[in-house]
Amino acid sequence: MMKRLLLGLGGAIALSIGMQAAPAMAQDCSVDVGTVYPTSVDWGQPIAQTALWVGDMINEAGGVDGCEVNMILRDDQNDSRVGVDAARALVDLDAVQLLIGTVSSGISIPILTSVTAPAGVMQMSCCSSSTRLTEIAASGEANGLWFRTFATADVQAAVAAMLAQDGGIESITVVFKNDDWGQDIGRIAAEAFEAVGITVHESIAINDAQPSYRAEATQALRDQPEALYLALYPTEGISFVREWIGLGGTSTMIGANSLKSDDFRTAVGLDNLGSFVGTDTSSPRVASADAFVEAYTEQFDGPPSGPGLANSFDAAAIALLAYHAAGSDATGADIAAKVPAVTDPEGEAIPATVDGFARAMDVLSGGGTVSYQGATGAVTFDANGNVSAPAVSWVFAEAGPSEERYISLEEVATFMGSMN
Amino acid sequence: MIGLISYLSFFLTMAGIMAIITLGLNLQWGYTGLFNGGIVAFFGAGAYGTMILGSGAEPDQFGGFDLPWLVAVAGGILFAAALAWVVGVLTLRLKHDYLAISTFGVAVALESLVRNSQWLTGGARGLRGFPRPFEELVGDTFTYGLVFLAIVLVVLALVWWGIERLVHSPFGRALRAIREDETAARALGKNPARLRLWSLVIGSAIMGAGGALYVSYTAFISPQDLLPVLTFQVWAMLIVGGAGNNRGAVLGAVLIWGVWTLSGFALTRLAPDSMQLDAGSIQYILIGTLIVGMLLWRPEGLLPERISQKPTKMADKAVLEVKQ
Repeated sequence: MMKRLLLGLGGAIALSIGMQAAPAMAQDCSVDVGTVYPTSVDWGQPIAQTALWVGDMINEAGGVDGCEVNMILRDDQNDSRVGVDAARALVDLDAVQLLIGTVSSGISIPILTSVTAPAGVMQMSCCSSSTRLTEIAASGEANGLWFRTFATADVQAAVAAMLAQDGGIESITVVFKNDDWGQDIGRIAAEAFEAVGITVHESIAINDAQPSYRAEATQALRDQPEALYLALYPTEGISFVREWIGLGGTSTMIGANSLKSDDFRTAVGLDNLGSFVGTDTSSPRVASADAFVEAYTEQFDGPPSGPGLANSFDAAAIALLAYHAAGSDATGADIAAKVPAVTDPEGEAIPATVDGFARAMDVLSGGGTVSYQGATGAVTFDANGNVSAPAVSWVFAEAGPSEERYISLEEVATFMGSMN
Repeated sequence: MIGLISYLSFFLTMAGIMAIITLGLNLQWGYTGLFNGGIVAFFGAGAYGTMILGSGAEPDQFGGFDLPWLVAVAGGILFAAALAWVVGVLTLRLKHDYLAISTFGVAVALESLVRNSQWLTGGARGLRGFPRPFEELVGDTFTYGLVFLAIVLVVLALVWWGIERLVHSPFGRALRAIREDETAARALGKNPARLRLWSLVIGSAIMGAGGALYVSYTAFISPQDLLPVLTFQVWAMLIVGGAGNNRGAVLGAVLIWGVWTLSGFALTRLAPDSMQLDAGSIQYILIGTLIVGMLLWRPEGLLPERISQKPTKMADKAVLEVKQ
């Protein structure tokens, strides 16, 4: 309560400063920012919309270094050749120094390796999950220009191992969705379980849109594991878990955050989910998370639902604040160098609102650092542009998913260190 | 200005690669009448083959042979040709729509194979490539774009020249004969099964070369690149350009790729702010309308096939032989 009051006070001060400052900033200059998202795909459009909205908020707060942000949006059609072409046009023809996007790792990677990194343009993605990106960043090929607000599978996999160990589970079978995200998290989770001494019987891939998963469930049942680890989306998760329970499999299950859905809870039935525990990267415990939901609801006449919206918001916000800190004529490398100033845990806490942005810009212009409290929490980036975040475990309850335990950044890091 | 040249060279590089693939399809469909519905499979075979042979070693990953670029590309092309040979032997007795469906099936199967064989292809994570050819020699990215464009244009010219030679030879006329009337061709002593197999293998090897060039540029390949949309794009290019005419195939490739990408660019400039979010969908409508319009207005393509009426020297000899 006190914190919220203080933040509100901070916001009010920021607002008054912003109001005074606004007339002084004659917006006769503009800054082009490239945005590549799959706008022609149903789930891609809200992600793009959220990014554009951040651009509007930044403009309302005074713009990047006093210049109006002009977000140039291109569709990647979820096709790598089209995505690379769009990025190329933005970098070559519009001379952008900052590119926000995209969702699919299969497109973000060729954009990074053949467009942004060679051209020295900073790239910030909301939702690309592939561990290849970590490898590319670690090899130095990305020149430190790559960032993503999508928490990689490592944290969730480590927390799953932590929960399994605490629950005294000795053998487990991993069931994963057969795409880049699922293959990654399935593999990393299996390694994490083994690292803490839990026997992994098998890792079973689940392909999309199969009418039945009886064969996979039977396969999993053969080893009689004490528990299941589920890295699935709700649709195939429902079919698989129903078959699994129907065949008499154990109801002790650990699930990834992708199963945190009401569809899954109602379709599988709360009776069968008594021993289910889920993992997630933390829902932030700052007012700005509520602020994001409230602001989003107000802006789009409905609460944020769908994947990647909070990540998209933070990706755009952090990138644009870093751009502001680096100045309107900054290069991609300059902007990338300012990202730590926006996500400095020691810096002044800044909520994700117009007032917050105005305050952040004020501090950043003065050479200070801020701790941006975004829609996915107070994130920080490691050397490979990956976000590290605290974690939570959750269970299904009558009212929906309910949080059980908060695992701080330090706790996650210590546990992950102990695994190696 | 430099930005414009840089983008244009990139655009022409991509269009050139698409044109190479379209020329491969032109040999198969335009000259032989083979309905290849799995273009992306042969593109993918060339791409993955090149990648596996040319990239450096990685833990838990098959490949990493680190072979010189030209060897890797040749290997990729051979791999595409080998795949076409196997597919051809199995399916070439099938004609028209049946061949289309079975080749389409091959493409879907290959995508699934690549997505699931992590040890071989990196699975859904894809494969990381090797340093782009000659990039270290060139240094700056702008000049390199032009150098790579030159490489693509050289390959395009070679493929063009090769196909022109091929289709104006007796072999090419035999291909056209089986396209028009297989029974008549057989009556003249031609072996349609063998000729069709050759056409499929050579055309697919050319598609594989397109894939090899593509991964040489992006230095990355994933199952995302093996989606059927590529097959449809190449078909649209050939049909709009004009089947049975190499100039038409190249023109169609540049035109369709231009519409596909520049429409997106134009929409970000011209569409009002409120419509920017829907620009992607509008772009699809534009592309579809253009292709349908072209089909209605000029079903034979912009540059239709021209069959020379003047008997060539070779044809004269053939006529003589028949008379004797």
